[in-house]
Amino acid sequence: MQLKRLIMIVLFALLACFPCLARIKLVAVPERDKASVRLDNPSATYVEEERVLLLQEGINKVDFSWRGVMIDPDSIRIRILQNPDEVILLSVSYPPDENALVWEISSSRAREEKIRIGYILRNIDHLVTYKMIADKLETKVDMQSFLVVRNFSGEDFSDAGFYPEYGDTFQNSSQHEETKQFLFFRKDPVPVEKVFTFDAGKLPWDPEEQDTNVGIPVTYVIRNDKASGLGESSLWWGKVRVFQDDGKGSTIFLGEDYAPFTPSGKKMELKIGESRDIVVTQHKMKDTRINLRHNQSNTVILYDTDETIQARIENFRDQPAILTLIEHIPGQWDMSESTHEYEKENANTVRFLISVPAQGEETVVFNYNRRNVR
Amino acid sequence: MNRIRLIICAMFILASVSYVQARIDLVTLPERDSVQLTIYNSADITLVRDSRTLTMSKGENTLQFSWANTLIDPTSIEIFANTMADKINIMELSFPPRVKDLGLWRINSEVSGRAPFEINYFTSGISWRAYYIATLSTDEKTMELEGYVRVTNNSGEDYEKAQVRVIVGTINLLEEISALAGRQYPYGSPVTQPPPAPQVRARYEEAVMEAKSQLAGSMDYMDRPKEIIKEGLSEYFLYTIEGRETIPNGWSRRLISLKQGDIPVINFYKYEEEKYGQDVIRFIAFANDKEHKLGDEPLPDGVIKAFRFVDADKYITYIGSDNTRYIPIGEKVELNMGKALDVEVEVKLVNYATKNYQFKNPGNNISGWDEEKTYEVTVSNYRDIPVKVEVTRNLPHQYFELSRKGDFGEYAGIDIDTVRFTLSLPPKAVKKFNYTVTQFEGDRRQGK
Repeated sequence: MQLKRLIMIVLFALLACFPCLARIKLVAVPERDKASVRLDNPSATYVEEERVLLLQEGINKVDFSWRGVMIDPDSIRIRILQNPDEVILLSVSYPPDENALVWEISSSRAREEKIRIGYILRNIDHLVTYKMIADKLETKVDMQSFLVVRNFSGEDFSDAGFYPEYGDTFQNSSQHEETKQFLFFRKDPVPVEKVFTFDAGKLPWDPEEQDTNVGIPVTYVIRNDKASGLGESSLWWGKVRVFQDDGKGSTIFLGEDYAPFTPSGKKMELKIGESRDIVVTQHKMKDTRINLRHNQSNTVILYDTDETIQARIENFRDQPAILTLIEHIPGQWDMSESTHEYEKENANTVRFLISVPAQGEETVVFNYNRRNVR
Repeated sequence: MNRIRLIICAMFILASVSYVQARIDLVTLPERDSVQLTIYNSADITLVRDSRTLTMSKGENTLQFSWANTLIDPTSIEIFANTMADKINIMELSFPPRVKDLGLWRINSEVSGRAPFEINYFTSGISWRAYYIATLSTDEKTMELEGYVRVTNNSGEDYEKAQVRVIVGTINLLEEISALAGRQYPYGSPVTQPPPAPQVRARYEEAVMEAKSQLAGSMDYMDRPKEIIKEGLSEYFLYTIEGRETIPNGWSRRLISLKQGDIPVINFYKYEEEKYGQDVIRFIAFANDKEHKLGDEPLPDGVIKAFRFVDADKYITYIGSDNTRYIPIGEKVELNMGKALDVEVEVKLVNYATKNYQFKNPGNNISGWDEEKTYEVTVSNYRDIPVKVEVTRNLPHQYFELSRKGDFGEYAGIDIDTVRFTLSLPPKAVKKFNYTVTQFEGDRRQGK
């Protein structure tokens, strides 16, 4: 099916005085030699195509018009490839009410000249998707990345080069309204860390009070660095589907998440699912006012608090687990006592890393004073 | 009716030949060798692993895969050349223009002849659920528990002689598979697109007739119920049903996944006004552990219906039902059987007083006081078996002192403003206790 909608007409200088008429009188339509489709910009696809122009000595008018496709006219560029000193672009003009432009090109003599035309073509883009297959112990994944080219531009490309930001490039064809998927990047094995997180600001404190189980989010952390066999380039955002080898020649699906754009050196965190075999029950065991300060009418105007939080973590799994426990303490405060070490993530957030043995439990108790509460 | 079609075309023709031509050069229509279904219940998703033997020509081959009138997610479709992956290269998958529910793989093969392939994809419309039947002994000290798995296929595709696996667990899913299956273009379009065309589903009667004819001939004959093999993977639990199952579109299959007798249970009653009002709620408590003759596997969430053997002839009576949560190995279970009539809790305020007033200058206004309330709690067991009763009291705030006297059983502070009395009552017994709570108000809270 002929879908080409880019029309290129070379006009001899002779006809240049009647531009409208000239565009009707087609003289030569040079075939596209080679096209490249650059998929390295997330918001626009830049297409470059090479054609051979049959130029006459003197001034040539080359009419470039399009229909059924959306081209940003300001993005159109032309480059003279073979004889840039003798073939010179003189001017560009845009005819009224038309998707077209006319290049005025001078040539020192009649010749065939290779040119490269570039433009931003709308409605052709690409997505990146990932498939990861974790091993049974969930310590590493086979990471595959697919490039999905969606061509709804109105234009067909046959044997064009497709250039993603990283990974393999492709020589392929793409028709209008066609979607194509290629495996363009694979690394195996890539180390992965499995993390359980209880954020006391997000999850209910007492699972018994809930009608359904409170799942503890399970996250896979992958580092885009050399140690992981990655790190050469940023990893693009896209949907990640995570599977696991079941040890019997098949896989199970663990879950999916959107990978964020992950620059080299950064980590990619993927929430794949929830664990219902880890149960966190948190209670406030103490909350009193201390160090009361009064005004002249004996009203309390400033005080501190004495608060105790108890978090019980039960691990019903047959494997030990490391749980990240995130607690939020507002305002000015200091920790007076804690059964476990913690890290202050920011002024109002503390993070505990709690190891819980298989089929065991661990109780975290911490006492803090909020200061100068008005 | 199988709606999934696979057509393989040897492509000796130039790459520029259009796909329309390629599809006419039909060479073989390979049948399915085997199929494995991994069905999830936290979301409407099933992983299908379809094994087929395809005949490859040396050079470039095009494989057409179509799935009209099914609920397959086209973005999940994948093919593997299993054992011959080093000689057979899957070059690309394309979804050709102006054709719906069809994909074309371009496969480059270094060999010619038959080669085993696996095609994986997600479908929606196949679901499973767990449910249980519990039967208490006449003395209500033990229980028989039967667990069932019921698999239902409404996917639009028949799965014959499939290995069926079900997953217990909660996966993170970004988009519903049925929504992905209904898209006009597999990955959507950068252009604002019209709403997807309505799903064309098979006529129900046709599906049933077909299913009946297929069921008749294709069930594996066994002289015992099928076993379910259970194993933990990641945060999930995988149940693999022994042998092969044929589940035609529109049909369900029920399988027993668990059967255990003599599970010791505790009859358990709860009273908590804030949760249950004035009613006493009956619970049956046990644990998913070895002590309770369970604990080999987590129990998936599902409805549990509880019965009781009423006499030696094993007549049964229905007690009630509850939606159980997922129960990990080792966790305690409390089944809510609803309002109890034969255990009563009466909480009566028997005395009220205020005292210890404080006054503040200037103005001599009241700045603090104590409120003292005495409650009398009567717990009555009209049953002829012993029971345990939990009375939970929520207090208005944390500034209080509590004294108690009488037969109050075990007393525990649950959190800063909740206390609990746990009493064990012999058959046909009444226990009574009092507690006095002194609540500190205003400035009386200072230093408490």
